[in-house]
Formats: sequence, structure tokens, C-alpha cells
Amino acid sequence: MTPPSGSTSSRPERGAELEPPRVTPGAGTTPDTPRGAWTLALPEDASTHGHRIDALLAWSHRFEAVLLAVAFGWLVLAVWRFRRAKRAAPDGGTRRSRAWVLGLALGAFVVVDGTLLLGSEGYLRDVLWNFRVPAEDPRTVRIEVNAHQWSWEARYAGEDGRFGTPDDVVTWNDLRVPVGVPVWVQLVSTDVVHGFSLPHFRVKLDAIPGRVNQTWFQAAREGTWEVACHQHCGTSHYKMRGVLQVMTPESYAHWLREAGRQAVQGYDAEDLAAHWGWEWKAP
Amino acid sequence: MSLVSSDHKAVARRYLWSGLGFLFFGGLLALLIRWQWALPGQPVPGLAWALPESRGALTPPAYTAVFTMHGLIMIFFAVTPLLFGALGHFVLPLAIGARGLAFPRLSSLGFWVYAVGGALVLASFAVRLGPASAGWTAYPPLSTPAFTPGLGQTLVTVAVLCAAASAFLYGLNFVVTVVRCRAPGMTWGRLPLTVWGLFFASVLNVLFVPVLAAATALLLMDRLLGTQFFVAGAAAVGGGGDPVVYQHLFWLFGHPEVYILILPAWGMVGDFVAFFSRKPAHGYRLTAGAMGVVTALSGLVYAHHLFTSGMAPVLGRAFMVLTLLISLPAEVMFLNWLMTLWRGSVRLTAPMLAALGTMGVFGLGGITGLALGAVATDVPLHGTLWVVGHFHLTMGAASFLAVFAGLYFWFPKMYGRAMHEGLAKAHVLSSAVLFLGVFGGQLAAGYAGQLRRLYDPYQYTYLKHLLPLNQWTTVFAFLLGAAQLLFVVNLVWTLRRGRVAEPNPWHVGTLEWTCAPSPPPEWNFHSAPVVLRGPHALSQPEVLARLGRDWIGQAEVLPEAAVEGADAERTDTGRVSTVGGAT
Repeated sequence: MTPPSGSTSSRPERGAELEPPRVTPGAGTTPDTPRGAWTLALPEDASTHGHRIDALLAWSHRFEAVLLAVAFGWLVLAVWRFRRAKRAAPDGGTRRSRAWVLGLALGAFVVVDGTLLLGSEGYLRDVLWNFRVPAEDPRTVRIEVNAHQWSWEARYAGEDGRFGTPDDVVTWNDLRVPVGVPVWVQLVSTDVVHGFSLPHFRVKLDAIPGRVNQTWFQAAREGTWEVACHQHCGTSHYKMRGVLQVMTPESYAHWLREAGRQAVQGYDAEDLAAHWGWEWKAP
Repeated sequence: MSLVSSDHKAVARRYLWSGLGFLFFGGLLALLIRWQWALPGQPVPGLAWALPESRGALTPPAYTAVFTMHGLIMIFFAVTPLLFGALGHFVLPLAIGARGLAFPRLSSLGFWVYAVGGALVLASFAVRLGPASAGWTAYPPLSTPAFTPGLGQTLVTVAVLCAAASAFLYGLNFVVTVVRCRAPGMTWGRLPLTVWGLFFASVLNVLFVPVLAAATALLLMDRLLGTQFFVAGAAAVGGGGDPVVYQHLFWLFGHPEVYILILPAWGMVGDFVAFFSRKPAHGYRLTAGAMGVVTALSGLVYAHHLFTSGMAPVLGRAFMVLTLLISLPAEVMFLNWLMTLWRGSVRLTAPMLAALGTMGVFGLGGITGLALGAVATDVPLHGTLWVVGHFHLTMGAASFLAVFAGLYFWFPKMYGRAMHEGLAKAHVLSSAVLFLGVFGGQLAAGYAGQLRRLYDPYQYTYLKHLLPLNQWTTVFAFLLGAAQLLFVVNLVWTLRRGRVAEPNPWHVGTLEWTCAPSPPPEWNFHSAPVVLRGPHALSQPEVLARLGRDWIGQAEVLPEAAVEGADAERTDTGRVSTVGGAT
């Protein structure tokens, strides 16, 4: 048992005491109230940027529906209309019909793939690969996540804002972030490949031994959501579940201060295994 | 005798039986996965002998082994051997008018290498700690001994190397055979589309299977010799290896592999749609060209599997553009199939129903892949059952239905007996519909966020509500499994007392049906055919007029026309020569 992690084990109750109405402490419940069995929608979106992906996916579904209707409709119509027809055309199409095929394919390609490409490119440019947003925002919360069989170990810099100091706060399967603030995650793995997934924030990033991957997101509202692993990482892959609590900035700051104070008290310079953090590296 | 024979037809039959065996086995493993998702942790009836401690319930380690082996067996030991080993070996030389493959002994050797791999796969189930369990992709470091110490993982790694060696051998064999051994007159423009599909896929085998072999061999060295190619930060080698290198090598093979599995299927669909619409394929050259473009692009799109691996943005963007680009030739090809049906005279035989079913499942599978090709929309879907549904529809369901289209079509040629048409139709129709049910259910579950390879998805609160959906999907999967009995019954019945097939039951003109008896003799053709026209010369007016039938063999000489018809013949052939496939 490493001191920093031990120090945070009693954290939820304390945070709840001070901000009773805001934060639901019970890990394992989500405000994502059980959905109807046939609600076949994306997981609820709790991020400020995810709606752009969702909108693009909605467009892609419209295209899928049209393409499917055309393909299946045409197929069924052709079979129905020309089944056992008396005569069959003896040619493999005319120059004109082949031009139609090329034109139709090109048209569908330009519309569908073009929309996906441009929509995707916009999101990449503005959000996914745009680290200027978290880098330039003074409120940005930085978290170092260490994935291992089978849990998510998260490290916060503590009040001094520097990683690798005694007031680093370390949690297990328990991520906490303030609402409305960019959260910048740097991700490593110390054993096998894992996948850091926040389904409700449209975040997915592989944790690969030997590299530091990074992504960022921003929570749109308070609540408790789940962290999932999306890469097969061994027998207990399915149990690699964490909880992400989105708190008000005040209760987050309070929690971090308290947890950092406890971390300092419990700091053990000899415990090398507990000191896995790294100097934050901006891109 | 037939076990050592290097006759391409004997090799094909060996591949057929072993491929069907592994298909059955891989299918059972799939049903175990479905059972687990419908009734998590409940004992599987009849499995207590294999898992006595849990009284037949899948445990997490057993489950990881099951989904790993399902994927490996289906790809390397069932579908590829059926498409190439069975149908490819059997049809390719016959369809191009060759007396055999270019390297007959190599093809026999390839089968035995594959058989060794298959034996290793089966043996792996008997060793301590069970078979491989690191996923079919076997990403290190999970697949290194530190995390998967069992002998089974090593045996299966060797088995994959064997399958790769055999795939390389027949790939090479097919390429050389098509380039060098075509009958006189069998120009590239007269090849059946099936041959085009097999040819392009074989090119991919030759180019990309060695990449898999390299990655697997390095992984094997990491497992056995203590090297650290894919172990990050290994101090012993100064700086260490990199697990990401394996991922790139694996998918540099892995993505072309899905085209390896689908190109022969596309080819067969192209041919069968033409045959059973009784008219030449629409835009033959466009279709063959589209398959060629897909082949050329297929090695340039693989990194969409790694969109979430933290790759450089420039790579992500490049692979997004290239991936989306590959949908264009696929659309051209699909539209050509639809245009072939149009103004034809459609005959819903069993191979035709299977081909139409292939079109249906491939259409849905292809369309659902679009969102995975763009980085932004890939993020919520990456690693979910949406991906699983998408690739099962394409390289699973579509390849499967194409295998059965081919099998029903060529079975009379292989064994001289005609399969029961009603049972065959019921089999392919029910399979196609149930495939849509099973993989449609997976698409829906994945869209709602269900991640792959979870022993118990309902550990996650946000997935709890998906249990009923998964249970229905499982019902469809078991029905799909049951529907395969229609094939088994048909196969056994046909082999025992099926009626002797007519020489050309489908009334088509390709060489295997018009120049060789069923089953063909060892040298295939009594006299080498001299090819005069394309594979789809159907419903040609002059043939109708002179022979009274709507088909003519590719090597059949049209009887001399009546004197007054000579001019008409010239103009007719002149016109026909401009349309793809008819000449």
C-alpha cells in the first residue's frame, strides 16, 4: 500500500461532507440513469465538444440509411422486376450506363466521404489534436494516468502545480475533474497495452508501454461517469473500470487541497514504486 | 492416395474438409462468446467436462482463450482455407484452362504446412493454461511470456506462422499460374471475375503475408529466445523495443488480409450475378479495375486501426484520406453488380441467392465502415462492437456466404453430384437473414458503447441496459448455428445418394463447365481449350439464333452461319467486342 493512494481512500466521504448537495459520493452509480433496454443511442454526452462528433455521426447515419435504402431497394426491385424475364440484355452496359455508374459512385463518394472528412478534420483541428486550448488556459487541470493490470492510477500535481513532489495526489480508479475546465491527460502503461476510454466524453486513447500519449477533454456538467478499458489487457480486462467524478471547481479545489495535505503527511521518499510520475512534458 | 496427391483438385478437397472442420469449431467458439454475453457466468450445457472447476461456466481466462481462438481459427484456418485452399485451388486452374497449378508439389506442401498449423491449434487446447489468450492480434507485451506464460500461446504463434507460410505458398502459386498458365486465347480481358478476385488477393498474399510472418517470428523470438523487440524500455538492449512497431507490422498485414478474404468473394459475386441474370457483367473492365484499385490501396489504409494509438496527426490525416478513398472503387463495383441484375433474366438459384445475400451483408458491412474511416467518428466507435459487427459483416458474413455460393455452384463439378437445391436455398437465405440479425445486433450494441472482449459487459453501469439486446443477438446466433444443419444434411445426403449432376447444370460458358467432365480427370481437359470469348457470353442473339440456347462455352466454336447471315455475324461480333465480358 503506497502512502499517496492510502491517503485518498477516505476522500469521497470528506468531499461529500463539505459539498453535500453537489457531489454524489457513491462510486458505481451514475447519473446516467438506467436506460430503456432498446435505447440504442450513443452513451449520453457529458462533454463540451462531444456534440460535434455526435452530430457528424448523425449525418453519417443519414447517409448510411440512404445508401442502404438505395442498395437494398435497387437489389429487391431488380430481382422482383427481372425475375425470369423473357429476354435479357445481351450487353455489359453501354458507354452511357457505365458513365452513370461512375458518376453515381463519384457523387455518393464526394457527398458522404467529403462530409465525414471535412467534419472530422474540423474536430481534429479544433479539439482532438489542438493542444493549444489546454496549454493556453490557465485553469487547465493536468492529470498523469498510469494504466496497469487492472486499474487506472491517476496522479494530480497537487497545489504546487508540479508533478513528482510530495504533495502529488494519487488515486486508484477514481478520477476527479472540475466542470467547465480543460482536462489534459497524459497516459502511460507500465505493463501491457490498455485503452483509456471515457464513453461519455468521447475520449479514447491507448496506453502503450514506452510512450506518453495525451488527450484532453472538458466536462460540461457535474456528475459521476465511468472510465473503461477498450484494449484487451488480460483476464480481468472487463474489470478495469474506474469512476470519473465531475465536480464544481470549488469542491474540486477543496478536495485537491485536502488530499494533497494528506499526501504530504504520508509521503515516503523511500517508496520508489509510488513515485512513477514524470515531469509534465508539453508537446 | 489423395492425401499425398499434388493434383490441385485433391489438394482443394483436403482444404475443403479441414476448412469446414475448423469453420464448425470456430462457430462453436463464437456461440460460447454469445452465451457468455447473454447469460454471463452461467454454466454452458455440456461444457462441464472441459471446465470442471466452474461446472461448465466460462471463466475469465477461458473466455479470453475462446475469443482469441475464435478469431484466429476463423481467419487463418477456416475462411482463408475455404476461399483459397478449397475454391481457389479447385477453380483457378480449371477456369483459366490450365492442366494444374504452376507448382503442384508446392501446393501440396502448402496444405501440409497448414495442416501442421491446424494440429498445433488443436493441441494448444490440451496444454496447461490452455490455448492463446492475447486476442487474435496478439499485441505485445500481453502476448509475451511475462503476461501470457502458457505453452498454448507459443504453439498458436507457431501455428499462425504455418498458416502464413501456406498462404504465401498458394499466393505465389496462384499468381504464377494466372500469369503463365492461361490457356491459348484466355486473355486478361476474358478471365472470369472470380479469377480476377483470386489473382488480386494472391498478390496481396505474396506482398503482405510475409509482413505477418516477420512480426510473428519476432514475437516468437521474444517469447522463446529472450529478445525484446516488442518489450518497451528493455534496458538490456539499450533503449528497448517498442510495442507500437508490432501494431504497425500487424496491421500492415491485417488490413490487406480483410481484402484477401473479400476479393475472391467479390469476384464470385460478380460472376454469379452475371451468370444468373443471364447477361454479361455490367462494366466488366470497371469491376476488374475497381478490384485492382482496392488491391493497390489496401496496403495504404491500415493505420486506421491505430487512430487511437497516439499516432502523429499527419499520419492520422493521411490514413483517414486514404481509407475514405477506398470506398470509391467499392461503390463502383457494387453499382456494377446492381446494373448487371437490371435488364437481366434473374434466376434465383442457390448460388445466386448466396451471391445476393453476400451483396446484402457486404453492403451493410461496407456502409457501417465509413464512420470508422474518419478519425472523429471513429473515436466513440473504436474498440466497440460496432467495429465487430462491421468487420464480421464484411469479412465474416460476406466471405462465408460467398464460400457457400461457390460451394453450391462448384460442388457438382467437384464431386459429380448435384446438391439438393431446396435445402441449399433454405440454408443460404436463412444464413443471410440471421447474419443481419446477429451482426446488426452487434452494431447496435457497439453504437450504444459496448466495448469488445468484455467477459461481463454489465460490470459497466452504462452498458447494463444492453443485456436484452445481447440476449436477442445470441438467439439469432444460435439460430444461425442451427441453420448450418441444413448444409450438413445436404452435404451428407448428396455425397451418399445425390443425383448425378448434369454436365453444365448452370448453363454457363466458363471452361470448367464446358470443357471438362465432372469431376474433371487429373489433367483437367482432354484437349487444351482454345478460348474464343469472355466468361459471360450469355443471351447473345447470334448464339440464341444458331444454337437455340442462351449460353455458349468460352472455347466453343459457333457453327458456321447460314450464308446470308455472314454479314450480320461480322457486325454482331463487332458490336459485342466492345462490351466488357462478352468478348
